Amino acid sequence: MALRLSVSGVFLDSIPRSIGSSLWAISLPVPSLLSDLWDSVLRAAPKKKTSHMKRRHRQLAGKALKDVHGLSKCPACGQIKRSHVLCPHCVKAHPVDIFSLAVTDTQILSASGASSIKVHSTTDTDFRLVQSIDNAHKVGCHHLVTGANGSRAVSAGFAGDLKAWSCEDGYWFADNATSANLAGADAWAVSLSLDGRYLAGVTQNGHIKVWDLGANGALIRDHETKGSFGTCIDLSADGRFIASGHENGAVYIFSAETGRMPFSLSGLVKPVRTLAFSPGGRILAAAGDSKVIVLYDTASGEQIANLSGHSAWILSLSWSHTGEYLLSGSFDGKVKVWSIDTKTCVATHSETEKAVWSVKWLPKIGRTEGFATAGANRSVAFYREATGG
Amino acid sequence: MAFPSNPDDRESSVRAYIDHTLASLLHELSQPPSEARPAITLRRRANRTTCIINPNTKALEAQQPAETYRTYLWPGKTAYESWKFTKTDESIWHAAVVVRILSIVDQAIRSHQRISKRDIYYIDPEYFRCQSIVNGVIDELAYTIGVERAALNVVRSDLSLSSISDAETTLVTIGRPTVAGQDTLIPRVEDDDEIDMEGVRWVLVIEKEAVFHRLARNSYYMKAIAGDGILVTGKGYPDLCTRSFVRRLFDTASNSNRRPPQFYALTDGDPHGMGIMSTYKYGSAAHLHDNARLSVPGLQWLGLRVSDAIASSDSPENSPIMSLTARDRKKITAMFQNSPVWASDGPEPEWRTELQRMLMLSIKAEIEILYEQEGGLEGWIDRKMFRQG
Repeated sequence: MALRLSVSGVFLDSIPRSIGSSLWAISLPVPSLLSDLWDSVLRAAPKKKTSHMKRRHRQLAGKALKDVHGLSKCPACGQIKRSHVLCPHCVKAHPVDIFSLAVTDTQILSASGASSIKVHSTTDTDFRLVQSIDNAHKVGCHHLVTGANGSRAVSAGFAGDLKAWSCEDGYWFADNATSANLAGADAWAVSLSLDGRYLAGVTQNGHIKVWDLGANGALIRDHETKGSFGTCIDLSADGRFIASGHENGAVYIFSAETGRMPFSLSGLVKPVRTLAFSPGGRILAAAGDSKVIVLYDTASGEQIANLSGHSAWILSLSWSHTGEYLLSGSFDGKVKVWSIDTKTCVATHSETEKAVWSVKWLPKIGRTEGFATAGANRSVAFYREATGG
Repeated sequence: MAFPSNPDDRESSVRAYIDHTLASLLHELSQPPSEARPAITLRRRANRTTCIINPNTKALEAQQPAETYRTYLWPGKTAYESWKFTKTDESIWHAAVVVRILSIVDQAIRSHQRISKRDIYYIDPEYFRCQSIVNGVIDELAYTIGVERAALNVVRSDLSLSSISDAETTLVTIGRPTVAGQDTLIPRVEDDDEIDMEGVRWVLVIEKEAVFHRLARNSYYMKAIAGDGILVTGKGYPDLCTRSFVRRLFDTASNSNRRPPQFYALTDGDPHGMGIMSTYKYGSAAHLHDNARLSVPGLQWLGLRVSDAIASSDSPENSPIMSLTARDRKKITAMFQNSPVWASDGPEPEWRTELQRMLMLSIKAEIEILYEQEGGLEGWIDRKMFRQG
């Protein structure tokens, strides 16, 4: 009895519904869900089927897909990989987002939401994994910086802790004494001077602090700003300037010697996410949610140029060693190379659609230059100059 | 822990415990003061620092059923003195609170009345000092006797809502016939109630009441492209009753038909939203011994992710994305450190990454931003369910 009732219910109800839907098809455009599918349906064209004979002829003529013979053993992890191709097991370094990259003369370090820091060699084209610093930060690490001579690194974890690392003969170990001195430093973004002696950091409440790691990590500067969350910081290569970017769009430049603030730069109204001094220290590049890279003259504080072209938030910037090129990575996965001479974008890479958290120029391998990118697609990608010229 | 399933057993064990405790107290009090040792010993729940995700039940549980006992003593010289309320002596006051609550519960059971924790507190707010003390004692009492809180006739105040489709094939009967198609307070589910979920394709657990009402008003539970469904909200962090209701739906669903309905969670893109979703799926740290029978292991994360929010915030004039406050950041850090759900080897690497991205970008977003989407909130949910289902 109950069954019969429910069946009749379906029947009665289905009549008005079917009328409604047929009217829809005439009078209204495709509903929103279908419109996504509709495009791909329209674009799909039937493929021409290759006949067996044709495939056979191509194979006999040596034009078919060939078997892969060039296999080798990965020197780092020992698994089989294709020769001249990066080892997928090693390069897919982290199971979670990679938030920061740092380079030394011979190595690239990557920090992620996992607890370990991975160290890859940049001296060979295999970029093999040379060390995995396990349990570096239990809840993950968001910033990682090295001094350019590669003897010291500092990492900042999501738990708010700073850790210092020392390197000897290419092997990293924890510098517990310095780490202990930095306890309670409460810095979000950090930057190391070229010689690795001074550490600059910006805190969540907008303070800019400098520690002298040569003198047991003593706090030597503490500048107060307007209290907006500090998202990024950079030290110029000559050590004369400190620049910090903030959530309210402010960019401050401090003189490292006097501790005075010659410039408070406006121009980016939205949150600043990254900034970087050119190698010569004459230009400061800053970018963020406004999708524009702004170049400032550090001598006058004036805006030199706006580099526009990104269509999403810009998360990371890096200068080439000569200062000729600027590299930028954005939230939609685009990586762009900008020429500073012409102020134009000379290359765009879009290997991924996921956020690129960090971009970094690599030290020169032989004569070619290259760079590395990493982000939400969870792997480190290496690029090198294509022309070779 | 095995609970007595028969309601009569439950009531009798509660009655027996109360009678026994009060009788032994009276016996001690009737002794000469020098020999009297009136005391109540309560079993306390395990400490929250030792919780793990049980691989079998996929719920947050204590590592081992570690229990501690707390004994409330009357150190007063005479019985009369002990009963007096003295603010200076914490232990006397605590013991008196236990006895007082025990007598309130006893009265409630004898008169077959339901009483809420809030009611108990408001009987004498000055005496109980704060709601959390009442909550703590009641939970300890329930745990000591070995029954659910509801067996003490203590129920939650009416909070949560569910909305059920009245489509022809869907009739969800909970105990008594529910007026279909209307918002109903979540009913207390008895063990022997039968739930019929024939025709239900999905269950959507929503954090916010406002969003729930919007969806219910537009009868989304009937109009969704994915089919008929059930909307549930716990108004923020869910209470035990809401969780047990969702769990009952989940049990019924997974035992029943060929295509079990999908369970989705829709919360804000902020640390509390993530915490609420974790409470539904794995349980809360405050009720470790209940989590195994309240968790919903099949719950899927529908949103809101911060990347969704960024994608929808292209209109620059009114940015719906908010900055994390210092409290939000502290909350995320605490979540990382305290709960195994967010650990690096935990069950939800995506959730963990989401929290890290929030910290990294320092942003959060509320569900309300989806109102502006193409097709509105409903269209967005349709697309999401289509992609995940």
